[in-house]
Amino acid sequence: MTVTGASLVEARGPLVHEIPRTARPDMLVPARVYADSELWTQISGDRSLAQLMNVATLPGVTGCVYGMPDMHEGYGFPVGGVAAMKADDGVVSPGGVGYDINCGVRLLISDLDAEPVRERVPALVHELSRSIPSGTGRGGRLLLGGADVDRVLVEGCHYLLERGFATAEDLEVTEAGGRFTRADPGCVSARAKQRGRDQLGTIGSGNHFVEVQAVEQIFDAGVAAALGLRPGCLAVLVHTGSRGLGHQVCTDYVRLMDAAMQRYGIVLPDRELACAPFRSPEGQQYFGAMCAAANFAWANRQVIAHRVREAFERFFGASGRLRLVYDVAHNMAKLEAHQGELLVVHRKGATRAFGPAHPETPPRYRSVGQPVFIPGSMGTASYVLVGTDQALGLSFGSACHGAGRAMSRHAAKRTKPGHEVRRELEARGIAVSCPSNAELAEEAPFAYKDVERVVDVVHRVGLASRVARLRPLGVVKG
Amino acid sequence: MSGYSELLAHTAEVMLRLRATTLADLLAEAGRALGRLELGEPVPPAAGEPRLIEVQSPDREALLVDWLNELVYLAETERWVPVEFEMVTANDTTARAWARGVVTDEAPARVKAATFHGLKVVAGPQGFEADVVLDV
Repeated sequence: MTVTGASLVEARGPLVHEIPRTARPDMLVPARVYADSELWTQISGDRSLAQLMNVATLPGVTGCVYGMPDMHEGYGFPVGGVAAMKADDGVVSPGGVGYDINCGVRLLISDLDAEPVRERVPALVHELSRSIPSGTGRGGRLLLGGADVDRVLVEGCHYLLERGFATAEDLEVTEAGGRFTRADPGCVSARAKQRGRDQLGTIGSGNHFVEVQAVEQIFDAGVAAALGLRPGCLAVLVHTGSRGLGHQVCTDYVRLMDAAMQRYGIVLPDRELACAPFRSPEGQQYFGAMCAAANFAWANRQVIAHRVREAFERFFGASGRLRLVYDVAHNMAKLEAHQGELLVVHRKGATRAFGPAHPETPPRYRSVGQPVFIPGSMGTASYVLVGTDQALGLSFGSACHGAGRAMSRHAAKRTKPGHEVRRELEARGIAVSCPSNAELAEEAPFAYKDVERVVDVVHRVGLASRVARLRPLGVVKG
Repeated sequence: MSGYSELLAHTAEVMLRLRATTLADLLAEAGRALGRLELGEPVPPAAGEPRLIEVQSPDREALLVDWLNELVYLAETERWVPVEFEMVTANDTTARAWARGVVTDEAPARVKAATFHGLKVVAGPQGFEADVVLDV
C-alpha cells in the first residue's frame, strides 16, 4: 500500500507531491504532501501515504487532504495530516484529532540572557523536574475535586486566572484564549474525568517535555521584535496535552462512533477513522467533549508554565520573569470558515498557522501573523515561525508540528542505548532529566527527521515564515 | 503455546503481534505484553489479591481493544498494572478474568490507548493471531 501511494504521485513542483483523486476509487479528494526529495523518501517509507489516502475517503471531505513535511504514520490519520470536512454534510472523526486532544506547545521567553546563567542550567533542569511531575507524582500537580474538574473543562485557562495560575496577558496569547466555549463537560465520561483528576500540571510520557532553550539565531528581526524574541535570551518550551482525560475521551468516542457508523451508512477503509456526521447527536457530543478536553490541555500547559515561573523566580529572583509568547494546539478539530464555507478542520500533528489578516490571529500579532512553533527532536534546534495569509489556500492555514519521527521507538532503542544518548547530550552541554534511559533512547535525535529540512520546506512553500532558531540547553522529558 | 508477542515496525506507536492457541490465551498475552510496556522489564512479581476484570464488546476485534483499554484505565487510575491473568470467560464478545498485578508509586503513563488501526484478530489452524496498535 505504501508503494502504491508513492508510485501514483504527481509532482506539482519541487516541494509539492500530489496523489490524484483517481488513485483509488474511494478517494473523494486528492492528497497533497509538502516535502523535499529526502523528506519525501522518508514519508514514502512508512504507511503514512496510505493513511492520508484513507483520510481522503471520509464523507464531506473537501479541497485536498494535506501532508505536512514532518508527516509519518500514525493510526487512522497520519501524524502531520490535515483534512477539512463540510460542517453541514461532513463528518467529525475522533481519530482525526488523536488520543492526545490539544497536544500543543507553548513558548515562554525570559528577559535574561542565556549565556551568563548557562552554568546554572543543570540545576535549573533538576529543579524543574522536581516541580513538574511527568506522571501523577506527588509535587506540582493541581489536585481537582469533581466540581473543579468540570470548571476546568468549561473554563480552561480562565479558571486558572481566577485561581492565580495565569495572567490576563497569558490568555491573550493562548490559542482561542485558552477556552473553547463549545465545551460540554456533560459529554465527558466519568472515566475520563477520573483519569484527569490528578493530572493537571503533569507532562506525561512519550515525546512530551519541558525544554530550556536560548534564542540562537534571528531570521526576521522585525517579526522577532514583535514576538519579544531577542538574540541570546533564555526561553522555555512546553510540550504536552490533555493527558489521560483526553485519551479517554478519544477512546470513548471512537467506540461510540464505531457503533454508530452503520446507522449512518458510513463505510471506511480503517476502523480507527470512525466518524459520525458533525451535525448528528454523536458528532455534537464528541465535539463538546473534545472542546472540554482541549480546555483541560490548555489548563495543563498553563499550570506547568506557572510551575516553571515559580522555579525561575526561585533561581533568578525578579529578573527571572517569563512572558508567554504563544500557546498553540496541534491535535484538534476546529470549526473554521474557509472561502465562505464552514468547515471542521482536523489537524492531527499539525499546527494552525494563520496569517496577519486572519481575524483569529491574536490582536497583539495582527501585524506579523500567529506564532507557530516547530520543536526539533531532543537535542536539536527548535524554530519559531509565523503563519501566512497564503497558507489558507495551501493547507487550510496549517503548518507542521515538529521534526516528525523517522525511526520506530524499538529501532531507536536498538540503535543506541539510553545512557549513551544521555552522555552525548550532556557532552554537547544539554542537561537531561528523564526517569528512564529506555525512553530517552526512544526520543534520541537520530529517531527524528532533520528539523532544519522540515522548517526549510515549511518556509519555502509559504505555510509559515521563519523567524528564529532556538538551541536546547536542558530538557525535562516525561 | 500459552501466548507469544512481538513488536512490529511502526514509526511512532507500538504495534503488537500476538499469537496464542486460544482466544483466552491471546487476551492474557495481550495483558502481559501491556504490563511489560507499562512497567518495563523485568516485570516485578505480582502481589496482592486477585481482582475480577470484565469487558463486553460487539465483536472479537473490539473485545481486544476494549480489554487493553480497560487495563490501561486500571493502571492509570489505580496505579495497579495487571500482569497475571486467569481467564474465566473468553469468547467473541466477553472477556472475564481474575488478575493479579503490580502496584506502582506513580501511575504508568506510557500507553495512552489501544486503537482500531490495522486491527485484526484471526483464528487459524494453529490458534489465534492478532495485530493491534497502541498509542504511546
